Amino acid sequence: MPFATAHTVSLHGALGHLIDVQADVSPGQVLTTLVGRADASLQEARDRCRMAIINSELVWPSTKRITILLSPADLIKRGSHFDLAIAVAVLAADGRLPRAPLESTAFIGELTLDGGLRSVPGVLPMVLAAAERGIRRVFVPEPLAREASMVPDMSVFGMRSLAQVVAELRGEEVPESAPVAPMSGSRLLSWRGAERLEEVDLADLRGLADAKYAVEVAAAGGHHVLLTGPKGSGKTSIAERIPTILPPLTSEEALELTAIHSLAGTLEPGDGLLTQPPYAAPHHDASKASLIGGGTGYVRPGEISRAHCGVLFLDEFPLFRSDVLEALRQPLESGDVTIARREELVTLPARGMLVLASNPCPCGDYHPKASVNRCTCSEKVRRDYRSRVTGPLADRIDIVRHVEPLLPHESADRFAVPERSEVVKARVDAARRRQAARYDERSWRLNAHAPGPLLREHWPLAPDGQRLVDDELFSGRLSSRGAVRVHRLAWTVADLAAVRSGRDVSPGADEVQIALCLRTAAPLPAGFAQVQAS
Amino acid sequence: MSEADRRARAALSRLTEPGDPRLTQLVAELGAVRLYDLLVHDRDAGGMLSDVATRLASTDPDRELDRAARQGIRFVVPSDDEWPAQVEDLVAAGQLHERGGPPIGLWVRGPLRLDRLGRSVAIVGSRSATTYGERVAGEIAAVVARQGCPVVSGAAFGIDQAAHRGAVAMDGPSVAVLACGVDRAYPAAHAQLIAHLAATGAVVSEAAPGCAPTRIRFLARNRLIAAFARGSVVVEAAVRSGALNTASWAGRLNRVVLGVPGPVTSAQSQGVHELIRKGGAALVTNGQEVLELVGQAGEHLVDDPRAPVRPRDRLTSRHRQVLDAVPVARGAGTDSVARTAGLGIVEVSSALSYLHRQGLVERDDDGWHLAALAHT
Repeated sequence: MPFATAHTVSLHGALGHLIDVQADVSPGQVLTTLVGRADASLQEARDRCRMAIINSELVWPSTKRITILLSPADLIKRGSHFDLAIAVAVLAADGRLPRAPLESTAFIGELTLDGGLRSVPGVLPMVLAAAERGIRRVFVPEPLAREASMVPDMSVFGMRSLAQVVAELRGEEVPESAPVAPMSGSRLLSWRGAERLEEVDLADLRGLADAKYAVEVAAAGGHHVLLTGPKGSGKTSIAERIPTILPPLTSEEALELTAIHSLAGTLEPGDGLLTQPPYAAPHHDASKASLIGGGTGYVRPGEISRAHCGVLFLDEFPLFRSDVLEALRQPLESGDVTIARREELVTLPARGMLVLASNPCPCGDYHPKASVNRCTCSEKVRRDYRSRVTGPLADRIDIVRHVEPLLPHESADRFAVPERSEVVKARVDAARRRQAARYDERSWRLNAHAPGPLLREHWPLAPDGQRLVDDELFSGRLSSRGAVRVHRLAWTVADLAAVRSGRDVSPGADEVQIALCLRTAAPLPAGFAQVQAS
Repeated sequence: MSEADRRARAALSRLTEPGDPRLTQLVAELGAVRLYDLLVHDRDAGGMLSDVATRLASTDPDRELDRAARQGIRFVVPSDDEWPAQVEDLVAAGQLHERGGPPIGLWVRGPLRLDRLGRSVAIVGSRSATTYGERVAGEIAAVVARQGCPVVSGAAFGIDQAAHRGAVAMDGPSVAVLACGVDRAYPAAHAQLIAHLAATGAVVSEAAPGCAPTRIRFLARNRLIAAFARGSVVVEAAVRSGALNTASWAGRLNRVVLGVPGPVTSAQSQGVHELIRKGGAALVTNGQEVLELVGQAGEHLVDDPRAPVRPRDRLTSRHRQVLDAVPVARGAGTDSVARTAGLGIVEVSSALSYLHRQGLVERDDDGWHLAALAHT
């Protein structure tokens, strides 16, 4: 039977499809055809495979008709990592390789003309997808073996050349080969800006009790936050410290995040599984494609996806281009981002905490008190800036906090002992565990992601709390979307209160009151905002 | 005489409830020594005997004073130099909740002398304050304390502790007036704060050492806070709040009563808003304004807030009239400006050359138009 099947994976965003590469080698007109909607770089695979096989001192069936089918046939396939699977399929169809070892095995890698393997981006999501479809063994270029082995229950073969792959499949001794060159797009500078953030702690900041409590709630429930205040008041400092109070990622989240970074090509070979919540702070000049994702050819994940399960911080967000801010709205609601391409729709996860910061005016010096006001912006500029702060994006923010610069007596306060991030993180972690237990068997993990109707049905507010929400709704101070957000926030406030007090707390009037304060930027009751100095 | 008086007052302080108006009355009429003598010999005075009988047997003023001294507590009486004379104003201040009159003596812990409280400012407010209230209270206390004016407050959660912390942060004097004995820390969470005040400022109470903080003692305590201070600032108070009780006392004592506003939607500020609305308190927003109103006349004047002076503001009204008639972009001739301004051409032409020297208008081929400076 002149026919064999090898497996590989095609990626559409973070979604992987298992592809059967079928090769048929029969007598007939000498011709090699590649069918099944392959794009240009994949059409070139025929030539690469032929020369790689010949230069590996193996036999290319050059007197036969070779038909290569990539199925499912209706899916567009692109990328150069199909090479290895095609070469293996051809060799097996020609009887040069046993067919049995190809079963439940996937091949990922680009071939060079001398038969060597090259690295390709996105191996982790490919292997994840393959594992889901019953693949148990995977052959990848050697530098990517570590990335591929993050997938549980998968035997990974890190190979340097086609000759090594063939020897392994035949059960022969594996020959020596030249090492694989690293990914072409590798970063020249090793600086990632993350080192600086490893040193920071919430305890570095004095005062700001109000804002600290707000980010604790945000971290516990996964809520979005807006910090307003004059420049130099500590908005950025707080935002940078949010990752320090987020618990490490669950194994599921870590795989998702690492898969995204693998797709983006920002995963260094030595990185391993990303287990810490990410922090991304794009500049306000950032393009829509860099923030949301996109690009030409294959879809690169944007900052919003790279901050999945972590923090996306937009400093001075009214200065971002309005189409960029508009594009953020949908991911904020759904937790994923959909990018439409010519013929395909790519969906990437984007369930991070959004932290926005804004100054009172473009120059940042405006102060309502005339004696302190040093603002040089004109009234119109200030008005335009403010209209962006209160735009449709702001309506999707759960928590709004005004941050005021530290006063002398606050920085000299000897009875205020700022809490360390570790202590806050422990509470956040415990609050998240309460949520996980409550939403067991559901598709979401955190209060902020709970759908409103289900929340009202299964996890209602206590009657006195609901009455408070109804009053606000009735008086028009709260929209119905706002009411849902207050409901979710009240649950997070209750979860944290339960962690602090050690008792079971469900959201009632007190928790709703705090939630309303958090949402409307009203000052918080002091007892909530800080652990009393003793 | 004076030691006998101190003994008698110490005993009476142990025997009676703080701020009992009958007691003040009797002490004023009979003197403390005579009154204690009567009670010790089972002779009734104004119906006091039946109230104090149960405590009488166990009271020993000498031991009381001795033990207090060992704990670093002194008992200040009116004959002492340290006696804060301003509390005598309570004689004429009447009663609230059946409490009133000057204290018969004050138990004090801490280096600050009570006769130094003449310039003090009381800062009071809600126990369940907001972060906003605590911040403002701390700021006012810090500014006041930096000027050397002692801060007077209770020792409760919320505004009280925020005020003390603000003063202490500036190394300023601060006084806590307690409803319980000065040897006790109530609330327990503020033990460290109270200990710090006892080491650097003063902790004062009318109740004898060891006494528990009861509701009625808080009401009596409030009148003392108001009486010590030259003015009282209420930062946050709900509709029913002890801070409003302090404000009433301050009003009765003809002291300055001040209120800090909050968001109109905040329940924590409703009491203050009510107080201000009814004319019971003047509105203040920061420490400087408090100093201005509480200090000696003219001592700490605050500049009226005003917008920065712009070049336009210095013009006479007729010059301004001309400037208003000058077009923004396209130039206009002097006669056209004069027409628009409705003024005589001679005056307009001299005004234009003045404005030109000031850099407010420019001239080109078409005529006059506004300079960039005129837009600011």
